[in-house]
Amino acid sequence: MKTKKFTPAVLIMTFLFIGWAISPLMAENPTFKLPKYEKFTLKNGLTVYLMEQHEVPLITVSALFPAGADKDGDRFGLASLTADSLFFGSKNFSKKQIEENLEFLGASYSSGASKETARVSMSFVNTDTDKIFPIIKDIIQTPTFDQSEFEKHKKRTLLELEQDKEQPAGVIGYYFGKFLFGNHPYGNPETGIPSTVEKITASDLKTFYDAYYRPEQSCIAVVGDFQAPRMKEKIKKLFEDWKAQGKPVTPETKSIPSYDKSRILLVDKKDATETQFIIGTFGIPRNNPDYVSIQVINTILGGRFTSWLNDALRVNAGLTYGAGSGFDALKSTGTFTINSYTRTEFTVKAIDMALDVLNRLHTTGIDEATLSSAKNYIKGMYPPRYETAGSLANLLTSMFFYNFDESFINNFQQNVDSMSIEKTKEIIAKYFPKDKLTFVLIGKASEILEQVKKYGELTEKDLKTEGF
Amino acid sequence: MKHVTSIVLTMMLLLCFTPVLSAMTKAEDIQNFTLKNGMKFFVLEDHSIPNANMYLFFKVGSRNEYPGITGLSHFFEHMMFNGAKKYGPKMFDNIMEAAGGANNAYTSEDITAYTDWFPSSSMETIFDLEGDRLANLALEEKMVESERGVIHSEYTTGYENSNFRLLLDELRAVAFTAHPYRWSVIGYESDILNWQRSDLKRYFDIYYAPNNAIAVMVGDVTLEKVKALAEKYFEPIPAREAPRPVHTVEPEQRGEKRVNVNKDVTSPNIMIAYHIPSSQSEEFVALDILSSILSDGKSSRIYSTLVNDKQLAVRAGAFMGESIDPSLFTFFAICAKDVPVETLENAIYDEINKIITDGVTDSELQKVKNRKLFNFYRGMETINGKADNIGTYEIFYGDYKKLFEAPEAYKKVTKENIKAIAAKYFKKSNRTVGIMQKTEEK
Repeated sequence: MKTKKFTPAVLIMTFLFIGWAISPLMAENPTFKLPKYEKFTLKNGLTVYLMEQHEVPLITVSALFPAGADKDGDRFGLASLTADSLFFGSKNFSKKQIEENLEFLGASYSSGASKETARVSMSFVNTDTDKIFPIIKDIIQTPTFDQSEFEKHKKRTLLELEQDKEQPAGVIGYYFGKFLFGNHPYGNPETGIPSTVEKITASDLKTFYDAYYRPEQSCIAVVGDFQAPRMKEKIKKLFEDWKAQGKPVTPETKSIPSYDKSRILLVDKKDATETQFIIGTFGIPRNNPDYVSIQVINTILGGRFTSWLNDALRVNAGLTYGAGSGFDALKSTGTFTINSYTRTEFTVKAIDMALDVLNRLHTTGIDEATLSSAKNYIKGMYPPRYETAGSLANLLTSMFFYNFDESFINNFQQNVDSMSIEKTKEIIAKYFPKDKLTFVLIGKASEILEQVKKYGELTEKDLKTEGF
Repeated sequence: MKHVTSIVLTMMLLLCFTPVLSAMTKAEDIQNFTLKNGMKFFVLEDHSIPNANMYLFFKVGSRNEYPGITGLSHFFEHMMFNGAKKYGPKMFDNIMEAAGGANNAYTSEDITAYTDWFPSSSMETIFDLEGDRLANLALEEKMVESERGVIHSEYTTGYENSNFRLLLDELRAVAFTAHPYRWSVIGYESDILNWQRSDLKRYFDIYYAPNNAIAVMVGDVTLEKVKALAEKYFEPIPAREAPRPVHTVEPEQRGEKRVNVNKDVTSPNIMIAYHIPSSQSEEFVALDILSSILSDGKSSRIYSTLVNDKQLAVRAGAFMGESIDPSLFTFFAICAKDVPVETLENAIYDEINKIITDGVTDSELQKVKNRKLFNFYRGMETINGKADNIGTYEIFYGDYKKLFEAPEAYKKVTKENIKAIAAKYFKKSNRTVGIMQKTEEK
């Protein structure tokens, strides 16, 4: 979501580094095609992607494991803590050695778990490959989950979980996930909550690692400035002795709840001066064949600065700094959300306005000029999305996990162009909700409670109460 | 003021590593020309994707404000999107997005930057839109009022969601007594609610002159085409008298200053700021290296000691960055559970004193150089990184070419320089300490 913005000092740097890298194929062909890549599987089942990119002498390695928060069971935070702890020591390196060696070479590295997956990523200067690779191998294949390092991390995490609530914008998504999905694993808060994190031990991490970090359902993408044949040999050598364990156990599937009326969760923040809100419901799985068409419609509704939501709430009414909408697509379903915030006294005005805009999508629909503008916009912004080695590596690992291929990229512009007004009507009716909505608000309950009851069946919470 | 490690200094490292950089941008790849009205253009052709960008930097930020109009530079930035003569309210965004482009903007203490990204086939549209608003911004009363609401929401959400921001703003208000860096870019709430259209009009006339701006374009463009379009859309805009320079100099600090911020936070937050010279100072390079040694990465001094080994903090670091006038070198940390804030404060001083007494190691120096090189490559991976590098260097160092002359200055920095500079600036009398915690002690 774009905004004409004041950038807090610390964010300016991030801003400086946002951008796009270069895809050499673009010069000859104005239609964006995914650069050439190679995909192969090792004997142990590990899937590997290699893609050369020679703009700068950097290499990004990104590994994906089916080890996300949906495997947490009732121990919220387990997947996340396991991913964090991969860097806390391995067979050949202590935590300190890993950090010092990688940082001395200037490399950047991270690990983390999201709803369905865990990822390890590393970027480094290509001449350091042979120094970096043994570390990558070690943290992926032989992490030790050092107890004393984990206990320190856990202690910090417990405090940070409390501190997270000091930034309502950062936690409202967890409230929404839990309120919408209920006990379905997609509702698990990725960060965990204090009472569950408190009980997790280093040996729990090891058990979780053994169950979900296995070559058979994992992949590694290497993108950057290297020669593929040589890289292929290096990767084979690095991972061929990682023992196959059989496919990970998948927890039994729970059904996704459904609701026959609108519901609202009001989270009370007693000193709030603004209300953060999400209005949404279930969305689509990542492999939905209408994925691209849905993105075109969402661009118009809430995916760009001139989108209807931002135009109404921000540009026309001056109620907020930003309003938008989006689909977060997961493996078996996803979410659709409208997000914004406004000063406490404008809460109802802003929410009513957002609902009006959503309704307009169904009643008025989209005209030719708007559709054409959205098509141009989404096509114009498309190539830059997949231009850095990091974003390409991420894309390749997503292709693996969500089971789609480069035709998604290569046919993107064609799919966008083929949208007709008729098609927009179908897509809107099928995928954009108009009722039975889920509302989550974080704000000053004493001032807004009575007015927001009208949106649906009310549940109340206090922001300071543990969890979501 | 960009409170983070200088990206520009990473470029200084460029020539230290010439062998691997042969394919990278060189000084001679950057072309430039100046229009008759004084507006300067920098062009870097990069035809690998059919996209390009235009970055416009105006030399105006919150340092050009005074009480009563604080935050006006930022408000002005917003108003630049609200209609001009040829293209009325909303049209700037509607036309740009329909042409496949997008834009954003940001305001800092020193500059205001406008950034456009677009398929190169839409380049003339971008010039037309940008030329129109620079020549004839409308500043309609109705738009002023609705944008005031947007900014008020931005003000509220900023403080509502960031302890860091609240503490930093309180700290700066105490660290500076005279210089305009003492207020934040967003401004005081009462000023936000009371600016007048006439204030904006005056601001436009003083600062939004072609001779007070530079333009950088990187991507699928040619110098010839850019020049032709610049002459068509920007050259007719008349030059104006140069703005009066900001002459206020912050007086030397004469003793430690402390500020308390009462907020119901889970554990105390602390910031410690020392006055340091501006980016143009010869000492800036050594300070930047010092900042990296202290806080870049988990093996950095502050993180590894305070967070990992002693477990006194859950987060800790330090930052400084480019600025036109002398600025601050700031340490920050959040107490671990049940750690008294004085303990954490003293532990930060211990780390500072270790540098002053024992200096840094060869390996730490080399680590910073390796890191800067990596960051430099990251920046040069994207056409946006390139555009921002060129603009930032030109603005903060006075000449983009200096970046290619700088390696010598960088190489010259020794362990002794770093030790000396730490001793020179990290003095008790030069610091301001800010503490945010639940209740102030009686």
